[in-house]
Amino acid sequence: MAASMVSTYSLGSAMLSSMARAQNQLTQLTAESSSGQYADLGLQLGDQSGYELSLRNQTNLLQSLTTANNLTVTNLKTAQAALDAIRTTAESTVKTLTSTTAGSSGAATTLQSTGTDALQSLISATNTTSNGQYVFAGDNSGVAPMADYFSSTTSAAKNAIDTAFVNTFGYAPTSSRASEISASDMQSFITGTLDPLFSGSNWTDDWSSASSTDVTTQIAPGESATTSTNANQAGFQQLAEGYAMLAEFGGSSLSTAAQQTLITSASSLINQGISSLTTTEATLGAAQTQVTDASTSMSNQLTILQTQVGNLDNVDTSAVAVQLNSLSTQLETAYQLTAQLQKLSLAQYLPVA
Amino acid sequence: MSLSAAFNIINSAFVANAGQSAVISSNISNAGTKGYAREIANLATIASGGVEVASVGREANAALLEQVNTSTSQAACQQALSDGLTTLAQSVSDSSSATSTTGAEANGNSPSAMLANLQSALETYDASPTSSSAAQGVVTAADGLAQSLNTGATAVQNVREKADSDMASAVDTVNSLLTQFTSVNATIVSGTASGADISSAEDTRDSILTQLSQEVGISTVANPDGSTSIYTDSGVTLFQGGAARTVSFTPTATLTDGATGNAVMVDGVPITGSSSPMAIQSGALAGLAKLRDVVAPQYGAQLDQLADGLISAFSESDQTGGTAPTLPGLFTFPGASDVPPTSATTGLASEIEVNAKVDPSQGGDATLLRDGGINNDASTGADAYTYNTTGAASYTGRIAQLISATTSTQSFDDTTAKLGTSSANLGDYADASVSWLQSQNQAASNQLDYQNSVVSQATTALSNATGVNLDTEMTNMLSIENSYTTTAKLLTTVNAMFSSLLNAV
Repeated sequence: MAASMVSTYSLGSAMLSSMARAQNQLTQLTAESSSGQYADLGLQLGDQSGYELSLRNQTNLLQSLTTANNLTVTNLKTAQAALDAIRTTAESTVKTLTSTTAGSSGAATTLQSTGTDALQSLISATNTTSNGQYVFAGDNSGVAPMADYFSSTTSAAKNAIDTAFVNTFGYAPTSSRASEISASDMQSFITGTLDPLFSGSNWTDDWSSASSTDVTTQIAPGESATTSTNANQAGFQQLAEGYAMLAEFGGSSLSTAAQQTLITSASSLINQGISSLTTTEATLGAAQTQVTDASTSMSNQLTILQTQVGNLDNVDTSAVAVQLNSLSTQLETAYQLTAQLQKLSLAQYLPVA
Repeated sequence: MSLSAAFNIINSAFVANAGQSAVISSNISNAGTKGYAREIANLATIASGGVEVASVGREANAALLEQVNTSTSQAACQQALSDGLTTLAQSVSDSSSATSTTGAEANGNSPSAMLANLQSALETYDASPTSSSAAQGVVTAADGLAQSLNTGATAVQNVREKADSDMASAVDTVNSLLTQFTSVNATIVSGTASGADISSAEDTRDSILTQLSQEVGISTVANPDGSTSIYTDSGVTLFQGGAARTVSFTPTATLTDGATGNAVMVDGVPITGSSSPMAIQSGALAGLAKLRDVVAPQYGAQLDQLADGLISAFSESDQTGGTAPTLPGLFTFPGASDVPPTSATTGLASEIEVNAKVDPSQGGDATLLRDGGINNDASTGADAYTYNTTGAASYTGRIAQLISATTSTQSFDDTTAKLGTSSANLGDYADASVSWLQSQNQAASNQLDYQNSVVSQATTALSNATGVNLDTEMTNMLSIENSYTTTAKLLTTVNAMFSSLLNAV
């Protein structure tokens, strides 16, 4: 008897608790179907939470590395554009030199103005900035790498060259006695006295504030690349020397032979400079490729990571829709049953006395 | 036999009818009362041949009641644990509020997500070391991470303090219930001896036992005199021989990291905590004690280890080859004089902060992150901690070092943290900690669901076995009505017989 009996209290409360459970699930499923994710991920994933979080964190990291790489690529492109400009100036200077005949009238003016213009453009191109950093300054990117040669107060570089000339020949380049300089004297002055002024500590003291240490940047997790070059490269030195000798001595009243020596030396230096810069440009191009390759591979990883995160976080929306449907049917049944059960009382059928 | 004897029998039937009706009325009016046990009027024949309500029985079922109480205790224990873990999990806030699959906000406020933000900020700074906004970005991310650890430590402390105060109110409830039980028990004992109707007192007794099992796991023993003895599920006496034992507890208002709360005592014997020889296994008190003494401190220790790992990863060492000590860099704590060893990290998570010397909003210089020298003594001009000795604006050596420090393996002290990891990188450790917390949360929640359904089943079974079914009562009422009608008819008939007899005389 007792086993088959159902108390009125439990009859009512059984329905109540099943309705409460269904309503609870209903809110959860509604949230899931609108967001497409589990309503409470932490509770759903349990000890997988950390794994899911690490996937998200890695996604985050790769995204910021990709953004940073875009910046690096911009810097590299700016540097390459500046190198292109330097090379173009150098080539046109060489062309001018080739077409200039030593001893002809106006040759001195042409040589001096060509040298001055080219040197100015070299300095300005070398001091190119990208995102507020001097691209040819190595890691000392907060300081302009090449000092202004033509500044109002005589620059250290100009002073060194002028002094060297006076010390060698005993008079200034502008002196009319410059015509006494023989071709061999000029040649030995250039190779013996002038060349050392454009290398080693003379270069870093008088000409360049750049650091010989290039910037190293992380371009992918655990992968770093050299992403800058610096104005202490041979190409910059050769070009500066070629241009400077033209600017300083091109206008001097040199003999035809000495002027020819000057033209030949300058041409040779500028040509060497062009070939050095081409190598530098190739290095930068390689760095750019390395950075974009890293970005591409990270973008592939991102796709995989996001898929994995999705696998963990996302609910099967069609399954949720089906569950929602069956749950609402269940609730409706529960409501109807409650109404039916309410009628199922003996009190309803007893005659009123 | 005589007609007057028939009158007496009819009279006894009316009295019995009234008694039965009273029992049925009581049953019907209590049909909706939870825990009410159905009463039964036991009829007996009396010597004259009549009937009487010999006693009122009570449809009790001790085994089912015990099952309800046990499962209630288990559910209350899991409820306390689950509530605390939910609060802790909210401090991690994981990705439960995620609306997008990308971005920092989607990853919540867990130390793990904040650490990843810091790593991203460092990578950005690495790519543009001259940018002051990138440096500021690192400081902001570091601040977010420090705050995330502070928040976690505060949550741990709050959960422990709330558990402690809940334990105090649970103990008050237990004492008040035991006091009520003392008087109910006395009523039952005297009622049993005198044969009075004690069924309503027994209902009260059962209801008190169920309420008591909510707070502490109990087992009961019924004694021959009708009294009941109560023991905790670990065997400590709570009530015996008509006297309740005193349950005492001294709450602790502030439970900082490393501080331990007091145990619940019964007659001077601790019934919670690791020092207890007979620790209770279930009931809200057991759950709260486990939360306060085991689970929350464990999570707190993990956060402390993480904070120490960060301070160590970002510390600065002597760059000149000298003997200057290694000191905290980006991350520090008030009064720091060294990088604490992993065995002495108590309270670090609540104290960790971004060094004011690198925080521009506190007058610091964020570029010290790139150049090092946070610990240089400006007054003496010593610069042993400077990494960027040339002052180059695009120096990335130190930044790269910091990035690799956050991803390289460190050692952790697992004594209190119990994460099963004594060597990992910071990110993995933070992830493992989140995993641990969420798996505890999930387990407690699943256990709670299960225990709740056990409670509901046991309650239903008990209610079905001992509760009132209105239809049954109505049917009984009909038969009483019929019996009353018949008895009345009988009375009329006997009366008619008397009249006929008297007329004939």
